Amino acid sequence: MALTGRFALLVALGVVPVVVAGFSSAPLAWLALVGWLLLVVGAGIIDLSLAASPRAVAFPRELPDRVRLGEPVASQLTVQNLGGRMLRATVRDGWEPSAGVAGANRTRLAIPAGERRRMTLHLVPTRRGDRRTQQVTLRSAGPLGLWARQATLAAPGRVRVLPPFHSRVHLPSRLTRLRELDGRTPLLIRGQGTEFDSIRDYVRGDDVRSIDWRATARHIDPEVPGNTRLMVRTWRPERDRRIVIVADTSRTAAARIADEPRLDTSYEAALLLAALASHAGDRVDFLATDRRPRGRVHGASGPDLLARMVDTMAGIDAELVEADWTLVPGQVRAVTSRHAFVVLLTAADSPGSARGLLSVLPQLTARHTVVVASVADPAMLETSRLRGDLDEVYGAAAAERGLLDGERVGAAIRRLGAQTVTAAPHELPPALADRYLELKAAGRL
Amino acid sequence: MTAAPPATAAGPSTDVAPADAITPTLRANLRRRRIWIVFAIVLVLGAISLLVIRGGGGSAGQRLGADNPAPFGAKALVEVLGSHGVEVGAVDDFDTALTSAKSGATVLVFDEFGLLDEQRLSRLAMFADRLVVVEPGFAALEALAPGVRLAGAASGAVDEVECELPAAERAGSLSTGQRLFTLDDEATADGWQGCFRDGDHGYAVATGPSSGDGRIVLVGATTPFENGRITERGNAALAIGLAGASEELVWYLPGPLDADPGQAPTLGELTPGWVSPVLALAVVVTVVAGVWRGRRFGPLVVENLPVHVPAGETALGRARLYARSAARTHALDQLRLGAIARIASSLRLPRTADVAEIAAAAAVATGRDPGQVRAVLVEALPTGDRELVQLANALDDLEHAVHATLAPETSTPQAADHPGRRP
Repeated sequence: MALTGRFALLVALGVVPVVVAGFSSAPLAWLALVGWLLLVVGAGIIDLSLAASPRAVAFPRELPDRVRLGEPVASQLTVQNLGGRMLRATVRDGWEPSAGVAGANRTRLAIPAGERRRMTLHLVPTRRGDRRTQQVTLRSAGPLGLWARQATLAAPGRVRVLPPFHSRVHLPSRLTRLRELDGRTPLLIRGQGTEFDSIRDYVRGDDVRSIDWRATARHIDPEVPGNTRLMVRTWRPERDRRIVIVADTSRTAAARIADEPRLDTSYEAALLLAALASHAGDRVDFLATDRRPRGRVHGASGPDLLARMVDTMAGIDAELVEADWTLVPGQVRAVTSRHAFVVLLTAADSPGSARGLLSVLPQLTARHTVVVASVADPAMLETSRLRGDLDEVYGAAAAERGLLDGERVGAAIRRLGAQTVTAAPHELPPALADRYLELKAAGRL
Repeated sequence: MTAAPPATAAGPSTDVAPADAITPTLRANLRRRRIWIVFAIVLVLGAISLLVIRGGGGSAGQRLGADNPAPFGAKALVEVLGSHGVEVGAVDDFDTALTSAKSGATVLVFDEFGLLDEQRLSRLAMFADRLVVVEPGFAALEALAPGVRLAGAASGAVDEVECELPAAERAGSLSTGQRLFTLDDEATADGWQGCFRDGDHGYAVATGPSSGDGRIVLVGATTPFENGRITERGNAALAIGLAGASEELVWYLPGPLDADPGQAPTLGELTPGWVSPVLALAVVVTVVAGVWRGRRFGPLVVENLPVHVPAGETALGRARLYARSAARTHALDQLRLGAIARIASSLRLPRTADVAEIAAAAAVATGRDPGQVRAVLVEALPTGDRELVQLANALDDLEHAVHATLAPETSTPQAADHPGRRP
């Protein structure tokens, strides 16, 4: 049960009869007070008994399944009155705060018996992952609007909020680079990282070293009988490489650098790399892991790949546990037994936290090309330049120590045969994509 | 937020099941909480029955009540007097007290709330042979002993008897917690005298003739009669001596029957008749508004929040650690390590180059004094905070100078390793 403001106002209006009666005598004023209260409460009880039941209601929901973080989504809830009376309801949909309901989340509906009305809430989710609502609370007022019946009914709903993929702005330029790479086909020079594409006629300007004499011998020139045509072999960048992206979701991924958790930066980088690599014809697998496998995308290709990746990423948040790197070689082996390009998205900034990573790197580098991508803190670089007063000097020394630690870890990683990509949060995704393109061009995938 | 009025007006769709209710119904609520409800009922019933059983003892808490065993009651005195043959009658109305007084009984009056007016007190004094007034108020003193005035509390125990009252002489001294009177010349002339002098402040007990032919004893405080204090010093002797002077004692505590209806108008009578009801209505409105605003619209929604750790914390903590332990050399070493590495890489020195070589190379590049460069890069030890800041700045300066000399070369970075170029 609930009271309304109208009821409070009605009780307050009792001051009029009380004062009027009070001018004749005090007992009469008291009588007027008691009489007024009885009247008002009686009206409330009658009103309550005439209110429609807030329980005889059904809630069909219409929700989009997925939405990107930062984009608005309309949550439509149909309230169907199954009772026999007019339902004058105020409705509150029980969304989580981070679902970002615009406005006060109080919708007034008047639904005649047996009918239904649709209400629309505009949500702008503020956080990645599954944003849920479990219940709808309904306050059904009587015809006078004095007292109301209230009930909370189960009406589960869910919107999956996907990572925003801001770094997709870098995709067109990288795709252009990729096409340039591809467009230099037919490459006439064979080497590592290229594979045989076709045999075609020699045209002036082709490198004579790439003439395939056996093919030339087989091709009789139809215009000049007895003569043969010169044929050249062409090569193209290799395709169908395996790319395994491993995102570390342990405690280091929870660190917030430049107002973005490391994990979100990792996701951005992984998405950009996956989009690029799938355009380049490579096969991408994604793993998220800390002490246990948190998520995995395997065997997807084309547009399905990105959809499945964001879907997997949406529900995974960093946990406050130490990463168990010994699991990673096994997980990579489970994905592919062939040579692969393995990208480890983690934090390589202090010897203490990188020890586990360093201990398993040899197992990975023995078989695969490994890149360790980590986010550098741009604030650290700034702090290390400050020399103003004593506190700033100490701060600069501490920042320098952090940078040196990062350098040491990076050097150790490189000594173990892996490569490092370190950049500020917004620069890491394009930097990783560029490294991929370099390696692809160099044929080292 | 927006309710869309044009909705599909479905027919009587009987096949739709209503949503499951999370809020329990009233009946389910009652059933679930029935143990507590039973508890509450038992408690309320117990409280009511206790009240009914003890209902007769409504005056149990009265100060100096003849049957009150509490520390501020007077049951001890009354019992003792009773066991020594004094007939004690507890009285709470004026007429009975006056009748007993006329028959020669000692009357002890304790008018806690000032219910007796001057006229009645005077009549009581006129007819009583012995009247003991405990803790008389201003009005009572005006009526009985015009020259005696209240003079505040005693500073401690009182042991200067200074009068011929037999009870006072037997008592010898009184405990702490007495209240004092002063007697002016007029009172002394009327035959009033004080007992138990407390220095120059006044007397704890005053005695004098009444307007009849009896005697009045004024006792400033209730202390000598209270259960809790009666055993201290001569309290008991004084109390028994005063109250047990005759065969019969009237223990008169004025009660509700003595309340004088013809008093000054109360606040309620002065205000208009509607003020009190309106105040009551305001209280009701406040409660109603509280219920209106305070009723929660459904249960709270719980959300699991992710962990977020600001990454700069470690560096900040380390900086404070350096500062607290004044690790100047250590801090400067960190800066030097970074600077040396950067200078070495910008001067294209091999990784194996040692510090001396790097310092020499930097001196050559910048054209500075090699000794000074070495001091900045390696040798100088900061002895104070000011020196640390100076050295750190000098280090920065040197680094900039090295970079500046190489500016033309460093302006074309990474152009050579453009990806995808093949020789």
